[in-house]
Amino acid sequence: MSNEVFKDASKMSGGRDSDDAIIVIDGVYKRFKEFEALKNINMQVGRREVVVVIGPSGSGKSTLIRCINRLEAHDDGHILVDGTALTTDIRNIQEIRKETGMVFQNFNLFPHLTVLTNVAIGPRRVRGLSKSASEELAMELLTRVKIPEQADKFPAQLSGGQQQRVALARALAMTPKVMLFDEPTSALDPEMINEVLDAMKELAQDGMTMIVVTHEMGFAREVADRVVFMDKGEIVEVGTPSEIFDNPKEERTKKFLSQIL
Amino acid sequence: MITWIRRNLFRSITDSILTVVSASILGFVVLQVFQFVFITGRWEIIQVNLKILLVGRFPEDMMFLVGFSILATCFSIASLASGVSRTVETTPRLAGRLWELFQRFGLIIATSAFLIVLAGDLDAILFGAYVLLAILGGRLFGRARRNASLRKLPGWLWVTINATLPLVLIFLTMGQAALEEWGGFLINFYLAVVSIALSFPLGVLLALGRRSTLPLLRWLCTAYIELLRGAPLFVLLLLAGVALEFFIPASIAPDAIFRAVTVFTLFTAAYLAEVIRGGLQSIPKGQAEAGKALGLSTFKITFLITLPQALRNVIPAQIGQFISLFKDTTLAGVALSVFDLLNVGTAITKQDDYLGQGLIYESLAFVGLLFWVGSYVMSRESQRIEKKLGVGIR
Repeated sequence: MSNEVFKDASKMSGGRDSDDAIIVIDGVYKRFKEFEALKNINMQVGRREVVVVIGPSGSGKSTLIRCINRLEAHDDGHILVDGTALTTDIRNIQEIRKETGMVFQNFNLFPHLTVLTNVAIGPRRVRGLSKSASEELAMELLTRVKIPEQADKFPAQLSGGQQQRVALARALAMTPKVMLFDEPTSALDPEMINEVLDAMKELAQDGMTMIVVTHEMGFAREVADRVVFMDKGEIVEVGTPSEIFDNPKEERTKKFLSQIL
Repeated sequence: MITWIRRNLFRSITDSILTVVSASILGFVVLQVFQFVFITGRWEIIQVNLKILLVGRFPEDMMFLVGFSILATCFSIASLASGVSRTVETTPRLAGRLWELFQRFGLIIATSAFLIVLAGDLDAILFGAYVLLAILGGRLFGRARRNASLRKLPGWLWVTINATLPLVLIFLTMGQAALEEWGGFLINFYLAVVSIALSFPLGVLLALGRRSTLPLLRWLCTAYIELLRGAPLFVLLLLAGVALEFFIPASIAPDAIFRAVTVFTLFTAAYLAEVIRGGLQSIPKGQAEAGKALGLSTFKITFLITLPQALRNVIPAQIGQFISLFKDTTLAGVALSVFDLLNVGTAITKQDDYLGQGLIYESLAFVGLLFWVGSYVMSRESQRIEKKLGVGIR
């Protein structure tokens, strides 16, 4: 399938944007048996842009970002990450996964490894850094998310908020160009949500390209460059936070916002 | 005291009846055992035949190698057991630690001491002391890794050192004597150790193969596992004794020990594979996804993330397999006419001095006790490792 088809496709979807777009999603469909999880998704994300995806549960938000690093395989359409096309070719997939970090709802830390090793495992086993170099890097990142003192503990000994910050450090250790967040605060106790959101805000200020699936509307309003509203597998409306939150055009967006705000 | 008795033993009529009944049964059993062990038992049959029970007719001048093998094995097991744990123990007082040790090993030490005294052999007592020293040394070596001095040593290298030391010595020892010359418990020990060492990696590979996405490999592994799990071990051993002759000329046919090791390894690997597969299935999908998201290859995800967790989760079941393998080695004696502990145990009662005197009880009691000591040590230590690795804590 090929790169050729792909180049054409990316050209078609608007030359201007695709030059500085780091992620191009073009006509993507995803089906789980009979159920259509994604229907004709078209979207671009520019470098250093923060895009927040909102929508009711089952709207396909998570599926969309899971397609970007191929945790789910899309059925139709094209996805291009930093110039590399996502096809069945495992080398392309690995290449893209190295460049995209992901933070999960349930942290998914490795329970049998220390916090330090959790963070160091990517640089060491994927990038091939030495043990000491990778641990040094890991320590730096743990300092950045403000939990260097927990380095020698195991994940189970940490609070939820701390675990999620370790997960953030683990993803950042790969020096990704794009960060994907799949409901990063949904599994947290309310008092721990802010410590994670603060770390994410800092990351956004540092200029990281981020796609964030979340129910935290305050975060979306404050940090997002663009907000994408999805429903039933479709992108219903895209706009700046004030456009979406203060002045939604679509009926479905209005209804959703009235339910949650 | 009286209130305790009343509350715990005679709270109601039913309780009282149960207490009286179980107390009488217990009393009867203890009395019988005591009588058998200290009064009616004629243990000279064990004393006289101690060497042949333990090592068969192994050449006297090579016996020191057998000793070294056993010591090395004790050393490695102790070292591995104390080296894999996550945390440094914090029981502070010596008395507390001694009590802990007594709880863990009291029964074993008592039984071993009893066996040694029974054997009435000065060398045996001395050797018992050496074994204790080896275990102590192993613990220190394992602990050294946990603390500072051996931190730098990579984990795999450390495990390899511990695993190869006894295996090399055991192979070296076995090479020193013709098959006809060794026997007794030595054979059971050898069969168990070698089969465990070989079946474990095979079991891991089979478990992974059965979960593979390649259909052919998956079917092959599934067929193998189901076939071997469905056949009685004894039948497989008998088959190995005769079937190989159909394919290989008798002159180059492998000896009985080799056949037994092959069957035990293949059989145990099939069971282990299912145990390990269960462990792999218990690992949440998110673990592999997190690995993928980092860009780890499937191979690295398996060996760095899912497999280590899976193996840890099924330690009790794995050790259970090893214990039953250890005890099943007696089947090799019957099926393949290997002169193992059980065979020796029955044979010595037919010696001219003891024939027809009903000494089979003494002999079998000794055989059973020896197996019990080995099995019990394995099971207790597995519980301890399990606790130390924090299984069940996520």
